[in-house]
Amino acid sequence: MSSTPQATSAPSWWSKFLQGRGVRKFKRDKMAIGSLVVILVYLLCALAVGLNVLEKEDAFARVGPGWTPGFGGTQNGEKRLQDAEFRIEQIERAAAATQAEDALKALNFGALVPFSNDPEVVSARVAEAWAIFNATVEYDDLEEDPAAAKLLLDLESKVEELYTQPTGLSSLVHSLRMSLGTDLQGRSIMFRALYSTKVAVQIGIISALFSVLLGTLLGAAAGYFGGWVDHLVIWLYSTFSSIPWIVLLMVLASAFRGGPFDGTLIPVYAAFCMSFWISPCRVIRGEVMKLKELEYVQAASAMGFGKIQILLKHIIPNTAHLMFINFSLLFVGAIKAEVILSFLGLGVKGQPSWGVMISQAKAEVLNGFFWQIGAATFFMVILVLAFNILSDALQDAFDPKHV
Amino acid sequence: MWSYVARKLLYNIPVYLGIVLLLMVALRVNDPVSSMMGKNKSQEDMLAMKESLGLARPLLEQYFDVLRFDLNVMSWKNQGLTVKQMFMDSIKPSLSITLPALTLTSIISISIALISAFFRGRRIDRILMVLAVIGMSVSFLVYIIFGQYYGAYLLTKETSWDLFAIGGYESGIENWSYYCLLPVLISTLVAVGYDTRFYRAVMVEESGRDYIITAKAKGATKTKVMFVHMLKNAMIPIITRIMTTLPFLIMGSLLLEVYFNIPGMGRVLYKAIQEQDFPVVQSFVTIFAAIFILSNILTDVLYALVDPRVRLS
Repeated sequence: MSSTPQATSAPSWWSKFLQGRGVRKFKRDKMAIGSLVVILVYLLCALAVGLNVLEKEDAFARVGPGWTPGFGGTQNGEKRLQDAEFRIEQIERAAAATQAEDALKALNFGALVPFSNDPEVVSARVAEAWAIFNATVEYDDLEEDPAAAKLLLDLESKVEELYTQPTGLSSLVHSLRMSLGTDLQGRSIMFRALYSTKVAVQIGIISALFSVLLGTLLGAAAGYFGGWVDHLVIWLYSTFSSIPWIVLLMVLASAFRGGPFDGTLIPVYAAFCMSFWISPCRVIRGEVMKLKELEYVQAASAMGFGKIQILLKHIIPNTAHLMFINFSLLFVGAIKAEVILSFLGLGVKGQPSWGVMISQAKAEVLNGFFWQIGAATFFMVILVLAFNILSDALQDAFDPKHV
Repeated sequence: MWSYVARKLLYNIPVYLGIVLLLMVALRVNDPVSSMMGKNKSQEDMLAMKESLGLARPLLEQYFDVLRFDLNVMSWKNQGLTVKQMFMDSIKPSLSITLPALTLTSIISISIALISAFFRGRRIDRILMVLAVIGMSVSFLVYIIFGQYYGAYLLTKETSWDLFAIGGYESGIENWSYYCLLPVLISTLVAVGYDTRFYRAVMVEESGRDYIITAKAKGATKTKVMFVHMLKNAMIPIITRIMTTLPFLIMGSLLLEVYFNIPGMGRVLYKAIQEQDFPVVQSFVTIFAAIFILSNILTDVLYALVDPRVRLS
């Protein structure tokens, strides 16, 4: 407690922090370390998407027939027939176009491209495929009848011959692309979910960071200066917290709609920051009121430090643990709120997000197609779960008195 | 006590003024007239429309208008309905979901928390807490989608047992379970995780206090300490939590109402925000804020009445 101001320079402060009781307690918690690893994996994934390893077009490109199940998913004969028909039709249409060669070159399902760019060669093979297709359609029951099942297999291998299968690295990418199936518009669910990871991490980090910073500044000022500053801040957060958060979010998000920020994530950030700053502000105000009575602060004041300097150097660093805990809680809050806002049509637009995927999936669930909602939920639950465990561990380690 | 109430009321006047101001400014960022009139609008028509809606007046004048708390203003979008009528029509569906849901959630989560605190640190406690955290990590929307699919759609389709409606609402007690029970169950499932964790933390905190040690030292059994000594004292934070959620009940569960097409407060408010129906949004939120402020004061007063250690100052 009697440290001189020089001793609080960054490296020694950091090493002191690492040797502190809280950090030691945190390190012993295996679950917490595990959740940190999971969060790191998500961050790396988001970074990779951010560095254009996965481009936005990949999340929107048509890679196959709609509603293909992912690995392990079986389809009934009817659906298999429809998918084969879809693939033949696509290539036939391209071959029949006026600029047939260009159309064939342009046609690709992810990595699958037509086996030849010569329209006549393609048309010949398409006709063969149609012949098998027409024979297959004759059967009513495509699964029980062995003859029909064999025809269906023939048809599928014929359709496969229409497209060049990818090899090497691109075949790995392709199997990753198809691993979770496709949505109604034939877009890769896996790539959409991966792209959404970036969107979620972006929303989580930016909203939580700015809310915590705003809350800390206001809370610390209120707690330290007291008087009219305190009254003003209390008035501000009482006002914001007297409106149900979901209504506040909706009003704020729709306030930013239609302006120059439409189609970006800025309305979402703004709505989250303006409604999430309240809880860090409350907590930090209370902590600062406690801290400012401690001897070391009085000592610093007696040594002639200015108020601002004491606040920035001696008080706010000592609320860092609360800032971390609140950041972790608000990160989860932002990701979950994004899903709700996107469902209500006020959230992410123009790019995939877990919220967009889940709300899109509500029509699919009634048709028994669970791949999209399953993928989005799985990706989200793992991240949110990791953050929940992390917040608990942080709270246990640094703020054990919290209920 | 009355002086405390009076002081609190006075203190909350600026808060109320702030809420109305915040709401009005946030609503007016986007001009409702231009989206109402469509593409082929002339400047005169827009001005006339603004005039008739009262939006052409200075903001301060509109502000005092809203502060008058006149519930007989007409809704802009629902022709011929006053805000008061809309409020009266929508409060019942909302409460018929949120009230049973709160009761059920509280009973279930307090029971689980008791079990968990009783077996603290043992396997059953850890399993329950892991389940609670996992339950908290799944989005509300996923619960709703799967709840509707399994509870309403698949159950009816597979067993032809039409237990729950896919959506919609009809008043009357005989229709309650058909339309409202499924939303109530979903809402309970969502909330149980959060509440259980909170109540368990309260009980664990309470079980470390001196009076518990005294009771144990005097030879009281673990069960007796748990249910007689501890639960009684843990009731204060429990009741506080329930009291603070009470005002939110009138808003209903917005997501559930939107998804299940239940014409409650939440859905009316959602539609009003989407359609920029200012009178409805302003009145509903100010009604809520007033109830919220009053119930906060009431909680403090009740606190002081129940617990003699608490002094209202």
